[in-house]
Amino acid sequence: MIGVVHDERVVSLLRDRFEVAGFPDDAPPLVGAAHHLALARALRDELQFRLFGFVVASHWPGKPAKKEGESGVAEAFELAYGLRSIGKGSGLAVWRLCLAAGEHAPSLVELFAGADWQEREQFDLVGVRFKGHPDLRRLMMPEDWEGFPLRRDYPINTPCPPWR
Amino acid sequence: MKFSTATATVADPYLDISTYEADADLMVLNLGPQHPSTHGVFRIKLYLDGEVIVKAVPYPGFLHRGVEKLCEKLTYTMMTPIIDKNDYLSPMMNEQAINMAFEDLHGSAVPRRAKYLRTIFAELQRVASHLVWLGTFGVDLGGALGGGTTLFMHCFREREMILDLFEEVTGCRFHYNTHMVGGNRHDIPAKWAKGVHRVIGVIAERIDEYEILLTSNKMFVDRTKGVGVIDAELALSLGITGPILRAAGVDHDLRRDAPYHAYDEVDVRVAVETAGDCQARAIVRILEMRESLRIVGELIDNVPEGPINGYRPTKTPLQVKITKGQGYACLEGPRGELGTYVIAGGDNRGASPYRLKIRSPSLHAMSCLPYVLPGLTVSDTIATFGSLDPVMGEVDR
Repeated sequence: MIGVVHDERVVSLLRDRFEVAGFPDDAPPLVGAAHHLALARALRDELQFRLFGFVVASHWPGKPAKKEGESGVAEAFELAYGLRSIGKGSGLAVWRLCLAAGEHAPSLVELFAGADWQEREQFDLVGVRFKGHPDLRRLMMPEDWEGFPLRRDYPINTPCPPWR
Repeated sequence: MKFSTATATVADPYLDISTYEADADLMVLNLGPQHPSTHGVFRIKLYLDGEVIVKAVPYPGFLHRGVEKLCEKLTYTMMTPIIDKNDYLSPMMNEQAINMAFEDLHGSAVPRRAKYLRTIFAELQRVASHLVWLGTFGVDLGGALGGGTTLFMHCFREREMILDLFEEVTGCRFHYNTHMVGGNRHDIPAKWAKGVHRVIGVIAERIDEYEILLTSNKMFVDRTKGVGVIDAELALSLGITGPILRAAGVDHDLRRDAPYHAYDEVDVRVAVETAGDCQARAIVRILEMRESLRIVGELIDNVPEGPINGYRPTKTPLQVKITKGQGYACLEGPRGELGTYVIAGGDNRGASPYRLKIRSPSLHAMSCLPYVLPGLTVSDTIATFGSLDPVMGEVDR
C-alpha cells in the first residue's frame, strides 16, 4: 500500500539513525519530533528525496474519562510529511509526527521552501503551530477568522444533510 | 543529480519592505482579486519601485470552499462529484486521484479494461486542459498570439471536440462522475474509437500550427523568453511538479517514473526543456499535448474486453468501508502531482474518511511567485502567472 515506506534504504535510515522501531502495515512510521529536521535533511542530502511533497495535519480530540478512576484521552495532533525522489523509479518517503495539544512542531522551511505555504495552510485550517516558521499567517481563511475549520470538533452549521 | 538548466536570481520572499531604500518612490499595487489575468480570484500585493517589482505577497483563499471538511461527512462513493469541481479544467484527473487512494486503502482491484479507459480519459483530459491554458495564455499576453481572443476561440473549438467525446461516454460535458472505487461507471459506446481517431487527427494537425505560433512569433518570444525563470533547485524545493518542473530541466514524470493505470504498458516520452522560462513552459505543454494524443492513439485500438468495475454498480453509499489505515496516492495531472492523503476510519461507521487532504499542484506552483516576481515588471507578472497555469478551484479548494 502507498504510504508505507517501500524503500529499504529509507527503512534502514529510520531504524538505525532515528530510533524508529515500529513500521505498521497501514500507516507511515512515527518519528520523534526531535529527529524531524535531521531526518528530512538526511533524506534530502543522502537519499536524494529532493522534491517536496506535502504536509498533512490531523486533529484527534480528547475524550473525557468514562468512569471515575480511569484516565481519558488527551487532545493530540498528528502531522504527516512526504518527500519524493525524482527520475526513474521515483519513490515517496512519508513519516508522521505526534504532537500533544499546544506543542509546536519543528518547521521544515529552512530545508524546503515549499513547506512555507503548506505549513501555513495546516496552521490555518487545523491550528498546528510551527517552530522556526518565518511567516506563520493564515493562508486560506480571512485573517480575523476565529477557530480552525478542519479540527474534528469544529461544527459545520448547516441544516443540510449529511453535514447537519 | 546535476541539472543542465538556467540559474535564476531568486529573491528573498521575506524582505522587510521598511528596510528598502528610504528615498525610493515605492508604490503598492493590488493585482486582483478581480482581475481577468488572475484566472479566477487571486490577489497579489505588489510593491513597485518605479515599474520594477520589489516584493510580491500573494493572498490565495478567495475560493476556499472547505472541500476537505465537507468530505469528512460524505461517504467514499458520494465524494466524486464534489471533487470534480476542484480542478475544474481536468475533472477526470480529480476523480481518478481520489479514487486511486480509496482503492489502495480498500484493497479493491481495478479491472484491466477500466485501467485502459482511465488512461485514455486522462490523456484526452490533459489535452483539453492544456488547450484552455494555451487559449487563456494568448489572452493574457494581450494578443501576442494572434490578436485578442482569436487563439482562445480556436483552442476552445478543439477542446469542445474532446468534451463531446466525454459526453458520449458519460452523458456529461464537464463534471463526469464516471470513476468510482473499484472501476468506472460508464463503458465506452460502440464506434467511440472511430470518433477518437478523428478528433486526435484534427487536433494533432492544429497543434502543429500552434507550435509555429509559439516558437516563431516575435511578439510572443519577446514577451516570454527569459521571463519568469524558475530553476530546478527552486522548483524542487517548493514542490513544483508537472510541466513547470520539466521546463526547468528535471526529467520527472509520474506516468513513466511511478506508473499507475495502464502507463506501464505504453512508452511515455517525457518532454523536457532546460530554459525554465515562460517560453520553455509553453513548449513543454505543446509537446505534452502531442505525446498525449499519441498515447491515446496507441491505446484506443487495444482496449481489452472485460468488466469495467470490480463489483455490481453501487447500491448503497455505505458499501465502501475502510475502518483503519492511512495512505497517499497520486497521479500526474496536467499541472503536476495531484495526490490525495486519506486517513481512514471516520464517520458513518468507516464509510467516510477521518481526514482527507488534496495535494494540489497549483498551490505549489503559486508559491513560487514571491521568489520569481521581484525584478520583473507588472506586464511580466501577467506572463509569468499565465505560464504557471493555475486553477484557483484547486489552489484554494
